[in-house]
Amino acid sequence: MPIAQEFELYRPKTLDEAGEVLKAHKSKARVLAGGTDLLNWLKEGLVAPEALVDIKGIPELRELRLEGKTLSIGAAVTFAEILESELVRRKFPLLWEASRTVASGGVRSRATLVGNICSAIPSLDSGPALLVHEARARVQSGRERRMVPLASWFLGPRQTALAEGEFVTGIELDVPDHKNAGAYLKLGRYAGEDLAQVGLGVLTDAAKAWRVAFCAVGPVPARAPKIEALLAGKALTDALLRKAQSLVAEEIRPITDIRSSKEYRLHMAEVMLERGLRTAASRLAGRGPEYGVSVL
Amino acid sequence: MSHRTLGKEETRGNGAGKDAGTPRSGDGLSGGHPLPPPPPAHRYIGKSVLRTDGWEKVTGAAKFVDDIEFGPSLLHAYVVESPYAHAEIVRVDTAEAEKVPGVVKVVTGRDFTQKFGLYMKDRYIFARDRVRFVGEQVAAVIACDPKTAMRAAKLVKVEYKELPPVLDPVKALDKKSVLLHPELGEYPHVPWFFPKAGTNVAHWRKTRKGDVEKGFKEADLILEDTYTVPRYAHCAIEVHGAVGLYDAAGRLTVWTASQSPFTQRHGFAQALAPLGISHKDVRVVTPYIGGGFGGKAGVSMEIIGAALATTVQGHPVKVMWSRAQEFYNTYQRQGVVAKLKLGVRKDGTITALEHTLYWDAGAYVEYGANVVNAVGLSATGPYRVDNVKIDSVCVYTNLPPGGPYRGFGYSEFGFGLESHINRMAAELKIDPVDFRRRNAIKGGDTLCYGAHMNPCGLDEAIEKAAKEIGWGKKTKPKDPRKARGKGVVCFWKAPAMPPNASSSAFLKFNEDGSLNVLISGMDMGQGLLTICAQIAAEILSVPPAKIRVETPDTDRNPYEWQTVGSHVTWGCGNAVKKAAIDAREQIFDLVQRTLNLERDTLYLEDEKVKCRTQPDFGLAFKDFVIAGIEAEDHTFKGGPVMGRGMFMPEFTSAISDPETSQGGHPNVHYTTGAAGVEIEIDRETGKVKVLKAVLAVDLGKAINPDLCRSQVTGGLLQGLATVLYEDMRFSEKGKLLNANFSDYKIPTALDVPDEIVPILIEVAQPDGPFGARGVGEHTMIPAASMIANAVEDALGIRIKSMPITAEKIALALKKAG
Repeated sequence: MPIAQEFELYRPKTLDEAGEVLKAHKSKARVLAGGTDLLNWLKEGLVAPEALVDIKGIPELRELRLEGKTLSIGAAVTFAEILESELVRRKFPLLWEASRTVASGGVRSRATLVGNICSAIPSLDSGPALLVHEARARVQSGRERRMVPLASWFLGPRQTALAEGEFVTGIELDVPDHKNAGAYLKLGRYAGEDLAQVGLGVLTDAAKAWRVAFCAVGPVPARAPKIEALLAGKALTDALLRKAQSLVAEEIRPITDIRSSKEYRLHMAEVMLERGLRTAASRLAGRGPEYGVSVL
Repeated sequence: MSHRTLGKEETRGNGAGKDAGTPRSGDGLSGGHPLPPPPPAHRYIGKSVLRTDGWEKVTGAAKFVDDIEFGPSLLHAYVVESPYAHAEIVRVDTAEAEKVPGVVKVVTGRDFTQKFGLYMKDRYIFARDRVRFVGEQVAAVIACDPKTAMRAAKLVKVEYKELPPVLDPVKALDKKSVLLHPELGEYPHVPWFFPKAGTNVAHWRKTRKGDVEKGFKEADLILEDTYTVPRYAHCAIEVHGAVGLYDAAGRLTVWTASQSPFTQRHGFAQALAPLGISHKDVRVVTPYIGGGFGGKAGVSMEIIGAALATTVQGHPVKVMWSRAQEFYNTYQRQGVVAKLKLGVRKDGTITALEHTLYWDAGAYVEYGANVVNAVGLSATGPYRVDNVKIDSVCVYTNLPPGGPYRGFGYSEFGFGLESHINRMAAELKIDPVDFRRRNAIKGGDTLCYGAHMNPCGLDEAIEKAAKEIGWGKKTKPKDPRKARGKGVVCFWKAPAMPPNASSSAFLKFNEDGSLNVLISGMDMGQGLLTICAQIAAEILSVPPAKIRVETPDTDRNPYEWQTVGSHVTWGCGNAVKKAAIDAREQIFDLVQRTLNLERDTLYLEDEKVKCRTQPDFGLAFKDFVIAGIEAEDHTFKGGPVMGRGMFMPEFTSAISDPETSQGGHPNVHYTTGAAGVEIEIDRETGKVKVLKAVLAVDLGKAINPDLCRSQVTGGLLQGLATVLYEDMRFSEKGKLLNANFSDYKIPTALDVPDEIVPILIEVAQPDGPFGARGVGEHTMIPAASMIANAVEDALGIRIKSMPITAEKIALALKKAG
């Protein structure tokens, strides 16, 4: 299917150059990184930008590196590159596990993590991992820069805190202080690639802190503060798990759509919470399934 | 047995694995001539010869319609579609679109007045007065590039008057329902259809045998229930496409992705007859196709390519469907609501069956009504039932046109029937496999329309499938959250064809003794080209590697009705066999008259003519099949050897009593079998894992066992997907909501069962080539019902509507507590 509409294509070589073009076109410009969403939208006529700004030629946006205790993932870094990174696998295995569930191998070799949070669909697989790691988005407007915590990034389905003329240059995550372990569980309709009907990210550490975030069960991916508070400082017991499961209905706002019913989403969020918490705990204890092995 | 056999083909059945080392093999169709000495066994039949098109396809070199270059004069068309499921077309204004630079022509329903359709002419090339489904073609823009065509198509203004859509086949039967086709009574159709003018019933197949009331009185248990099956999409990897060229000489050539080049030629010629085009002027060329599954049978979007070409004479014009269009504007598998009532004696004998099926056949039923017809004749399943009442009702709805899909309705009715059997067996405390053994059909049994069953190995299939799946033995899951269950079901299917559907083949020898075989059966992945090479190889003793069989071009290749119904190995295979025998007989004639050898003593071996009484004699094909044989006086006798073969099942007839279906012989034969599955279900998530699937099918003779086994693997997987994942969803206004692979889930490599065991049973089909009968469709038919039965075995839950998704299972379990 061809792209029938016309637009200007810019290929800036520097961040400031990109910033200027985007600022000049304001809402009429679109950033092109992997293009795995944008090109489909263009083909289907869902968006009609007057300018596309391809940022893949900006060297620093291709970088994936650790500076001190901060991991920085450039806006042009693909999921395939994240999955190939020993650094991510070692320091952020939860993000690695979630990245593995994004679409298919072919799509992951082009799709970017930053593109994922900019598309901001409610089922984005990277959402829960980034939220429990309390990641930040690096945002640029013209030549100015600001940081936006992921916690205040998602405003609604396909809506983000990005203002007109702004673009995201990268994501930052801090290496957790304590020994930690996590789990990303994704409910799909079959074993092949799918959009999550429920996604759950769990992160726990040696200090028995628990962080829990869901996606695809509300307008935006979000942490589950009541569940986190209940679990804080505690070791998992069957009784505690039941109690945590009973809070799920208060934490999420699932809907019925073509992919799943509200009832099944709620049911599965409860099932997944138990499995996710147990998996993270057993991984922390050095047991449990390897990262990447589904417990669903 | 009412079966008529062809010539002297041997009829004995062979056990699986035993090769047919029979004295007369290979001579079934020679008719009257003395027999050559028997080879010890088949040399090429029953062998897993590597597929001849394999290298081209795995290297990506194989060309499909969209790969063919047409040069700079190629034009592109984009279709304007109806946004409504049901509406009158008030006005079509093309003026704005025509002004766009690069637009060559805008074509609408005004330009083409003929109706078309395979079994019933009920649709126009472009909608004229009314649109009947979302996505129906109303107009097309032809432009010099696809983008211009697309942009201009948006400027075609169509004014509609919306009508209430009819989306439910049962409600559509209501007397007060809106009518989709008020002119139904005027549509030309085949004589075995019975449309009810003034209603939405396009066809009603009634089959009556015995006395149903008496049968139910004899029953100790009667169970009535309703089963529903939604619509499905074929999802061939290659989308539909067509390129048409109407040249200066008045020739219309259409390159299509199709299972049916000759049926398309006929359809194009009929629909375009008002332009002065006749059959001789139409040429259809079909390169390799990337899957068909029934979706590329008949004529669907290809007619657009053919019609548009006539409006831009001298320029090729291309129409390629998008993936979305592939979903909503080709054919879809029809949905069905099946009401089933079965009477059974305590011992498990079925006494009566009443099966009423309401088919959601969609906006046009030119092909789909024959699916309904086929089921109306066969909805007993492969069981002996003395008292039968079947009503198979084809109902127009404002959803995309229904049509052929692998299984042709048999999966759909099998879901209910095989579920029902297990439920009744459970109530009677009879093992469900024993139940099936007791009622299984046998060769010679009277079918529900009065004809007799062909030889079949259903009993053997049941035994082998049950044994292989470990029927009666419970295995335990490692994980306590999981439950395991097994299901065993039977299946059958006959090709659904007009009684005079025929196949033909040409076979040409070359100077080096190699062969070109021309057929018009389509290789759509099943391996037809390879097995036709094997058949010719067997008769002529030429290795398959020296035989080239190509895809069809209706100008060069002889007639084939269509590649559908799992009948081409049988039909086209017979034609190739006859062509090879024809060539062999010409060779014998020539050798006899030129070399004075006794005809009866001649035989073919190792690409040579040999003689039983003169062991030193051996005349290589390459020495005479083109150049002829030099006589003592140095003249030459003979000439190019060309074989010709034709096959038509002359014993079939579609005409019978409309009230009972008694009196005809509509089906050539049934392929039967049994299948079993073991699954593991996560009680919390509802997810089903297929641990093992077994399918035993009596295919008469496996001409190429590996290709047959891959049919089992592919068909089972396709069937399992329809029950586990796939599900077409429509909005309240009739728009397909999941015309994409994001939300219409076909299985990936990760979803393949852990173990698949194909079991090939060979009870010869007397009139099949080397005893073969069809196997392609049958392999998906048992999948849905065996999963339903295994789910009940594992969890005690009976699900009566497809699909049986993880969600449906988990929520049913939750509800059950």
